[in-house]
Amino acid sequence: MTAAGGTTDRELLRRYHQGGDLEAREQLIEQYLPLVRSLARRYANRGEQLEDLVQVGAIGLIKAIDRFDVDRGVELSTYATPNIIGEIKRHFRDKGWSIRVPRGLQELNVRLSQLLERLTAELERSPTISELAEAAGVTEEEVLEALESGQAYTTVSLSAPSGQGEDGQVDPLESLGELEHAYEVSEDRAVLAPGLEALDERERRILHLRFWEGLTQSQIAAQVGISQMHVSRLIRRALEKVRDEIATGRRFE
Amino acid sequence: MRTSCAEVARTLSADSITLSIPHAKPYHGVARLVVGGLAARLDLSYEHLEDLQLALESVLERGGYVAGDEVTVRLLVEPDSVAMTIGPLDPVEVRADLEGGRGDGIPLSRLLATLVEEVALEEADGGHRLRLEKRVPMRRPEPRAPV
Repeated sequence: MTAAGGTTDRELLRRYHQGGDLEAREQLIEQYLPLVRSLARRYANRGEQLEDLVQVGAIGLIKAIDRFDVDRGVELSTYATPNIIGEIKRHFRDKGWSIRVPRGLQELNVRLSQLLERLTAELERSPTISELAEAAGVTEEEVLEALESGQAYTTVSLSAPSGQGEDGQVDPLESLGELEHAYEVSEDRAVLAPGLEALDERERRILHLRFWEGLTQSQIAAQVGISQMHVSRLIRRALEKVRDEIATGRRFE
Repeated sequence: MRTSCAEVARTLSADSITLSIPHAKPYHGVARLVVGGLAARLDLSYEHLEDLQLALESVLERGGYVAGDEVTVRLLVEPDSVAMTIGPLDPVEVRADLEGGRGDGIPLSRLLATLVEEVALEEADGGHRLRLEKRVPMRRPEPRAPV
């Protein structure tokens, strides 16, 4: 693509990547916004405003511009398209319950989350499925089905802007920033692996606590002040993001 | 009084479940449910179930591990552990990630070391499969006659 002044994408990308020219980056973003809008239109009418989807898609575009390797013989549009679509899909995934999950199962999942906290505290160990079933007054199969339905759910807070919410409450995950100083100086190269680029700082820290520090879900939940089931969802979602990121990266290798 | 499946299962010295599914994400949930069903029968804790399911997902859902369109998950119940074998797998991909990682994400070795106690890449029936063993406390009451 050639910009209005005759500057090509590649020139703009070089100016940004090699010279740190932020104006070149802005120009690229503006240039490719029509592509974002066109891709976002495909996902409109699914309960989200088109403008919101354009904003989400623009994040994918910016990531693509930032990660683009100017020495590769790939067009920016080719590289950006899966990034934009990936970001929009991720937005739908992070939005909340899938409409396919019946309300009864959603409610049971929420109850199980509360019971899990209560029983873990009462028993001083993680409860079994039968203990959860008995406490909830449902069968073991219903517990398993509700837990499985939780795979279709994640909370918006995973992708929401950090800091204080409208009610003035600090997102509990924010406190993670103060918890794990060791993480900042970790020399494990996996921390800097390309697959982890899709994660925000909070998600990286949750994974760090689980897989580098070896904390259990309930220990992380206690330390961070969120429910154990929330920790479970965050871990799964973060690992899924890493896998998606790797798959996207591999398509361009 | 009704004898629960859990009580019957606890009287067995060994048990195994073999499940073959298409290697496609919608079917991975089926495998997770089977692991959940077994965990319920064995009275495993929620955290142990989570570890087993996450270990399974880590292998099934990372592109490049599973070789072929179908994947077989075998669960073997031993006196103090549950072993999961998953295959057929691409040994080059899996071995590379087990031996230090491919550098593009969290190495499989690190994930599995957190989730299970033993990991082994085995060759059997002309293919490769990963054997993951998780030691779990199992409460086994006195054997009783099945209904």
